[in-house]
Amino acid sequence: MNTALEAFAMVATTEVAIAILASAVYGMVIGALPGLTATMATALLVPVTFYLSPIAAMATIITSSAMAIFSGDIPGALMRIPGTPASAAYTDEAYAMTRKGQAETALGAALWFSAIGGIVGTVALMILAPALAEVALSFSTYEYFWLSFLGLMCATLVARSSPIKAIAAALLGLLVACVGIENPGGVPRFTFGSTDLLGGIEPLPALVGVFAVSEIMRAMTSPLPPPIPNRKLGSILGGQWALTRRYQKQMWRGNVIGVLIGALPGAGADMAAWVAYASSKRFSKEREKFGTGHPEGLVESGAANNSALAGGWVPALLFGIPGDTITAIAIGVLYMKGLNPGPTLFTEKASSMYALYIVFILANVLMIPLGIAMIRLSRHVLRAPRAAAMPLILLLCAVGAFAIGNNPFAVVLVAAFGVLGYLMERNGYPVAALVLGIVMGTMVEQNLVSSLIKSDGEVLPFFERPVSSVLAALTITALLWPAGVWVLRRLQPAHAAR
Amino acid sequence: MHLSDRITGGFLVLLGALAFWGGSRLPGVPGQDVGPAVFPMVIGSGLVLCGALIALGIGRSFEAPEPDDTDATPGLAGRLGRFAPVAALVPPALLIFYVLAADRLGFLLTAAVMVLAAALALGASWRLAVGLALLAPPAVHLVFYRLLRVPLPEGLLAAPWA
Amino acid sequence: MAIITRRGALAAGALTTIARPTLAQPRYPARPVQVIVPWGAGGGTDATARIVASLLEKEMGQPFNVVNRTGGSGVVGHSAIASAAPDGHTIGMITVEICMMHWQGLTELKRTSYTPLALMNEDPPGVQVNASSPYRDIKALADAIKASRPGQFKASGTGQGGIWHLALAGWLGAMGLAADHVRWVPSNGAAPAMQDLAAGGVDIVTCSVPEARAIIEAGRARSLAIMAPARNPQFAAVPTLNETLGINYSVGAWRGIAAPLNLPAPIAQALTAALQKVWNGQEFKDFMNARGFGMVWGDAAGFAQHMERTDTTLGAAMRSAGLVRG
Repeated sequence: MNTALEAFAMVATTEVAIAILASAVYGMVIGALPGLTATMATALLVPVTFYLSPIAAMATIITSSAMAIFSGDIPGALMRIPGTPASAAYTDEAYAMTRKGQAETALGAALWFSAIGGIVGTVALMILAPALAEVALSFSTYEYFWLSFLGLMCATLVARSSPIKAIAAALLGLLVACVGIENPGGVPRFTFGSTDLLGGIEPLPALVGVFAVSEIMRAMTSPLPPPIPNRKLGSILGGQWALTRRYQKQMWRGNVIGVLIGALPGAGADMAAWVAYASSKRFSKEREKFGTGHPEGLVESGAANNSALAGGWVPALLFGIPGDTITAIAIGVLYMKGLNPGPTLFTEKASSMYALYIVFILANVLMIPLGIAMIRLSRHVLRAPRAAAMPLILLLCAVGAFAIGNNPFAVVLVAAFGVLGYLMERNGYPVAALVLGIVMGTMVEQNLVSSLIKSDGEVLPFFERPVSSVLAALTITALLWPAGVWVLRRLQPAHAAR
Repeated sequence: MHLSDRITGGFLVLLGALAFWGGSRLPGVPGQDVGPAVFPMVIGSGLVLCGALIALGIGRSFEAPEPDDTDATPGLAGRLGRFAPVAALVPPALLIFYVLAADRLGFLLTAAVMVLAAALALGASWRLAVGLALLAPPAVHLVFYRLLRVPLPEGLLAAPWA
Repeated sequence: MAIITRRGALAAGALTTIARPTLAQPRYPARPVQVIVPWGAGGGTDATARIVASLLEKEMGQPFNVVNRTGGSGVVGHSAIASAAPDGHTIGMITVEICMMHWQGLTELKRTSYTPLALMNEDPPGVQVNASSPYRDIKALADAIKASRPGQFKASGTGQGGIWHLALAGWLGAMGLAADHVRWVPSNGAAPAMQDLAAGGVDIVTCSVPEARAIIEAGRARSLAIMAPARNPQFAAVPTLNETLGINYSVGAWRGIAAPLNLPAPIAQALTAALQKVWNGQEFKDFMNARGFGMVWGDAAGFAQHMERTDTTLGAAMRSAGLVRG
């Protein structure tokens, strides 16, 4: 009990309060700008943390990253520009809701279930950290290979198109991920002598290109869309309670998926959102509504990506293994502040740990009022005429891409992916699958090749370990699914007439 | 620009074949049997297979039909008539313009040109387009340069806060 | 510098141009200095550069702004430093990769493309094994490696041809074994490699001790030795290779501050002097100790020599590992 009181005393200082508030607003704004991510928001805070007390320093990182992950959904829902690869899974769904005049329901759901996901994730972190860490640490490259492959297979479930085209798009993404020197041989691959391509193609410029730029390209050649029904903006949280009750099962499933995948280093919020969206579609009773502006998938994946964020801290705090890029930065700050990651953090520095838990909860609670304010503010974007909004978005795409590494080449990539995304969409290839391929490419290849090297080229070890055999079975089922459906449809021609 | 499945599928077959060929030419790693060549070759084969299936029209029944645009498009595309699809290339062209011109002209001028051209191409009135071109670049510069410390090029015209 | 005043045209008045004096500067630094970092924000190099920049700012009275120029696996940022104007207003943090990339034929840039200012840090590789591994000390491990068939032992730590791979190759070479006697399993950095070590996927990880520290402190791995001339006071229990095996082999991942070639000597001397004060200051020491980063100092000449030595050592290691191209 004493440690809990101590922890409260550590949080209840003016410094921590200011740190939480300021970084909340900061994270909220950065996340909402297209092209700027939660990772960037966190990285820019590091010099500030030099001058803060340990708890305040960690509070800035925890708060700003949670806010930025949520507010990354805002441009996704309003303008079809996902703020992070994590929101790319359900961007089309949220945007479809906006087109139906339900922007506030879509964003409200993102906000409400993000906050719930964050809190559930924190509770899981408090209770299950050692057990989760044990699971995470037993994952070798074999398990990771199947897991990443499974994540990749979500592309076929998520897309509203021919599964073959979805697989083709994902393969194209994997091919893009092959570019560069970060491959098992450490040799330049498909770089065509370009220095800029040596480092490979990062997901972010591709994301901005295929979603945002291709949307602007479409606007250039399409008639003005019918104006969005401008009813009085309803209560943002009003409908959420009903959604929570209706999709309670989906919400919990999303939370569990998020915590589990988040706790696995390297998988993180991106994959959690994809897997959750795919699982909600797969098990839904109203599968045909997915992609047309249906909140069910948003509930599950919105909860998943924020609970994954909390889950990502498990290996970070216990073993100093970063779960994602944000915790990688946070680990550096932990060391600098004398809160060295390790099991001793939970015993010797227990009060600091409890203080961090309190900060997690506070950040997720604070997310709701701030998020409402941000949604109300940003909803004005919808009222701007298209000819005014699109040029601004184009400018933000250019600056945002440049800001990733202060390298103009990223802007060239954005343009190239814009053209690619435009052509793909026009011809029925899902761009989200392409993004998933790019995000997962390195992980799939690295773990495949590392496993093959370790097994001296044998395939058997891929199926021998208990966890890997389960994951392998799941993956093969997902792989054969489209073929099975296709055969079934062939056998029942009456069904094919929609 | 709508292309037939035969064309996109054929393109994927070609791309897959190229990836396979390019992958197979990669140097191996001394002391290791599995090198950088494996993955591109696997993906290349997959692309060839998928491309062939698509070109043969398999899986077509899953697709939602693409809505056809029949209404008149405002702005550049409306004026281009038969060549309307070319207007779609304006945004990527402006991004390339940004890359080529930003260092010489500076961020403010380049961004202004970009916003002006995009707004006009989308059918904005001159008043709206010029207003945007004057106001948006300084605002974006202020946020990115001052708050986020992004080193935007100064070029011919520096912002007072730079 | 051409200056166009458009105040008339920009009636909104939101903009005013300011004229920048371009006369010869009597005192350096006359305006903010850009510190280019070839690696992404949030990593160890970035954190080191940021603390150095903030301390230089105090020392020299002008802002030192850290700019991450990523891309091309470090090539883009390194070449941005080399190709900047040598007026002291653009400097950068260069890393050990500058002594590796040219051997692989990735770039023309090498150590001689810069004016070295100061070496700030070096982390030697360690030899880590799983906590349940039968090898209690480095001698037992070395004997077991010598007795094993080629490829039986698996090691990891970074990508193929990365600094920790070369450390392993060099160590094996020093023991008279082939560079690929222990098979290298490429990984996406030290953290996943340490995780795989803990999960029982690989036998050895040769990353630096600070990178392995959390898993070691969690009791999942042991560090048997470091490949350095002397023990690290932060991890005093870990012996050097020389102490135990009598192998005098040392490499390390280092970071230093450099400027474009042909930087005027007075500016270079001013910067080196300021960097020395930073390095000796308590704040820098506290930071480096907290992160567990090794503190190694070299002035301009010392840094140049250090780079030359690294270049030779790594060149030999890369040749033996078959990584040299062109």
